[in-house]
Amino acid sequence: MASFILRRLATSVPLLLLISALIFALLQAAPGGPLAGSEGGNSAGEAAMQRLREAWGLDLPVWQQYLRWLWLVLQGEWGQSFNSGQPVLELVAQRLPATLQLAATSLVLSALIVLPLGIWAALRRRSAGDYAISALAVSGMSMPIFWLALMLIYVFSVRLGWFPSTGLSDPRSGASGWALAIERVHHLVLPVACFTLVTVASLVRYVRGAMLDVLEQDYLRTARAKGVSESRVVAWHGLRNALIPVVTVFTLELPRLFLGSVVIETIFALPGVGRLFIDSVSVRDYPVLMGVLVIASVIVVASNLLADVLYALLDPRVAVGAR
Amino acid sequence: MIPLISRRNTLALLGAGGAALALQASAQVPRRGGTAVIALIQEPGSLNRFLTTQTGSLLSKMAVEGLFEPRANGVYYPVLADGLPTAANGGISADGLTVRFKLRSGLKWSDGQPLTADDLVFTFQAFLNPASAPAGDAITPAWKLIESVTRVDGQTVAVRMKQFNPAYLELFNVILPKHKFEGNTAVTNQHPQSRMPLGSGPFLVKEWRTGDAIVFERNPNYRVAERPYLDQIVVRVVPSREVAIQSLLRGDVDTLFFPVTGDLPPLLAAEKGGKRIKVALQDTRSWVEWLWLNQSDNGDPKKPHRVLGDPVMREAIDLALNRKQVLEQVFGGLGYLTGSLIYSGWAAVDIPATTFNPQLAAQKLDAAGWTRGADGVRAKGGTRASLRFQTIAGDRTRELYQQLIQQSLKDVGVELKIQNVPSNILFGAWKDGGLIKRGNYDIAMSRAGYVIDPISWVNMFTSDQIPSADNVEGSNNPFYSNASYDRLAAQAGASVDRTERQRLYAQLAQQWARDRPSLPLYSSAWGWAWSDRLRGVSVDHWQGMWPLAADWHIAA
Repeated sequence: MASFILRRLATSVPLLLLISALIFALLQAAPGGPLAGSEGGNSAGEAAMQRLREAWGLDLPVWQQYLRWLWLVLQGEWGQSFNSGQPVLELVAQRLPATLQLAATSLVLSALIVLPLGIWAALRRRSAGDYAISALAVSGMSMPIFWLALMLIYVFSVRLGWFPSTGLSDPRSGASGWALAIERVHHLVLPVACFTLVTVASLVRYVRGAMLDVLEQDYLRTARAKGVSESRVVAWHGLRNALIPVVTVFTLELPRLFLGSVVIETIFALPGVGRLFIDSVSVRDYPVLMGVLVIASVIVVASNLLADVLYALLDPRVAVGAR
Repeated sequence: MIPLISRRNTLALLGAGGAALALQASAQVPRRGGTAVIALIQEPGSLNRFLTTQTGSLLSKMAVEGLFEPRANGVYYPVLADGLPTAANGGISADGLTVRFKLRSGLKWSDGQPLTADDLVFTFQAFLNPASAPAGDAITPAWKLIESVTRVDGQTVAVRMKQFNPAYLELFNVILPKHKFEGNTAVTNQHPQSRMPLGSGPFLVKEWRTGDAIVFERNPNYRVAERPYLDQIVVRVVPSREVAIQSLLRGDVDTLFFPVTGDLPPLLAAEKGGKRIKVALQDTRSWVEWLWLNQSDNGDPKKPHRVLGDPVMREAIDLALNRKQVLEQVFGGLGYLTGSLIYSGWAAVDIPATTFNPQLAAQKLDAAGWTRGADGVRAKGGTRASLRFQTIAGDRTRELYQQLIQQSLKDVGVELKIQNVPSNILFGAWKDGGLIKRGNYDIAMSRAGYVIDPISWVNMFTSDQIPSADNVEGSNNPFYSNASYDRLAAQAGASVDRTERQRLYAQLAQQWARDRPSLPLYSSAWGWAWSDRLRGVSVDHWQGMWPLAADWHIAA
């Protein structure tokens, strides 16, 4: 196992380098640039833009720009935002809490909902309840997330007035301490509900399928024949094995803890990393885009590795790195 | 018999009367304290208007003041300046080339440091420094006419112009704090003052949480006693326009930063429907959308455009434009129509928009020899009336009325091919092959001309501003050349007499309307909306309600 992990880490380095180079090339290939909106101005503007190009290294060949960026990153210098001048890591660190609050809460809630729902649907296969859950899951997966978000706002915020529609708190309330924490929870209800509904819809059928595969196994038939109660057959013998692929699927959801949901953060005006990314795209803020995408790539590679390791640890039949 | 009032009743009446008087008094005195929340849809990267042209930077008007500010009608009044300089008060020299600006006494920056003439001198030195990037919207073309800024005393500077500059009141609309730059005149957007500028206004920029909120706090050193009333203004970033409007209607925010024309109908309907908001439509014209008609043959001003070089064709296009249809079908009836090049500011000239008359357009084209072909498109001497119609790509609202215009002109036999392109291609520099700069277009569409003083606007279209390889910065989009226009622009720009200037600008606007190098399509309606909770709001400023935030207060 240790050698497997070390080998995967070793191959991750060139993989991440390749990913960063591809991202850099794609960003440069996209039309426009950080100064595109200002071009065509008067002579004072043109001279100022030329100075900005030189200061930002945009006058260098693309490969030199990339190497310059890489060299600085290896020294821990991720650069400054073209748009705001703030250090990239500082920006990401500022935005991370909002994304974590949204994504982590949604993932935990999703797990608490999707597991019993998926198991129940598997146990009552081809029942009205099973069909209803499947229909809801397909509807949830098909529904545009921005529409769902706007509908939640319309119903629960505008019509019923139960929840606020934007932000993490009301600056006019002057709340602090526990009162502020409660206010934050109140503000997060709708975005978390939106994120959770979408996640549950995409995962419930997976849990159902995993459970169905296990319920068909001979060892469960043997356990029943030996007189084990049905609840123990399902919960102790069946569920443990059904959870193996489910745990790994949830592990692959970990990158969401970083990137969150661009659409949800935009609609609900949450200052998260996902929104930072999309705002940076619109102004071609290359340092921020590189920072966010490379960090996201590291998290994706790491979560894939974690998924493989967890799978091997949970299922003794699987031997990673076996010769 | 006169009824007697008992002593008990008398005391009761006196008490009630006193209470009523106290209540009335408290209702008249604005309540101090509280926080107002503004929903901001597009967050800027910087608030310093010396460095940025982003619309969101106008929020800095709550914190940063200039020497003079324009009212909604374009008339300036002194803010940091101790009066308007005139020839009568010695503020303007006899030759009109030197203007003295005197600051009010006792001014302070919000950090308590004195605001003096040295800051004005520093601001000009920063503008001049080639290492600076003074490209903000507070830096108007008038700055380029300054020859020198000299300190006369602690409160006064003498600004010497290279040539007469009637737009001198636009100068020093933003002042840089010298002490924050430690005397270094190389001012760029890498400096912290770019993001959170220091000012002397009613509020100071306390905190900026990117993507979340910008917090303005009361300026303890504000020059007006007892102002501002509010403790704080929080600008919350709400990227979704629909959600921002609903937040206002729901009361989660107190106002929106810059509602666009399309936002106004639902806001007006909500106000009418009893929502506790107030909507104020600005009764002055806002940005006009122009159709620029290229007068040159692919950038060669000596050869007229093969189609648009014919004045009858330009007149026919003008007659065939159904402007009211654009306002009604795209903007819900909101907006204004104008036929004037100079439509805003103190010198606005009232020329009505051409009346829609496609039949007359067709008649004129027939008489001029533009005959319809089998495909319905007119032609003359082998030249088809087929034109490219271009604006910035990705603007869905513009695409809507482009299609209306295309159909209107098709009805009179003029073919328009919509070919929208990115901004940097349409407005790119000469060296980058910018379509307008190179004259490589037929009809281009853009908004322009919303100015207080028309001098820089009209001077864009003089003959010497035609772009060429020798004049790559030329601003004359339509490649227009008219000796009478040139003469009128020069005379108006050289006169001190405002009445005379107004007369000359009126003639100039009439000349432009006759020649039609561009056609005004519509002027945006614009307005403001705020919740009933927010009181003391005034929109009597060229840039809306933000510079007047000192008077905002929360309803009792």
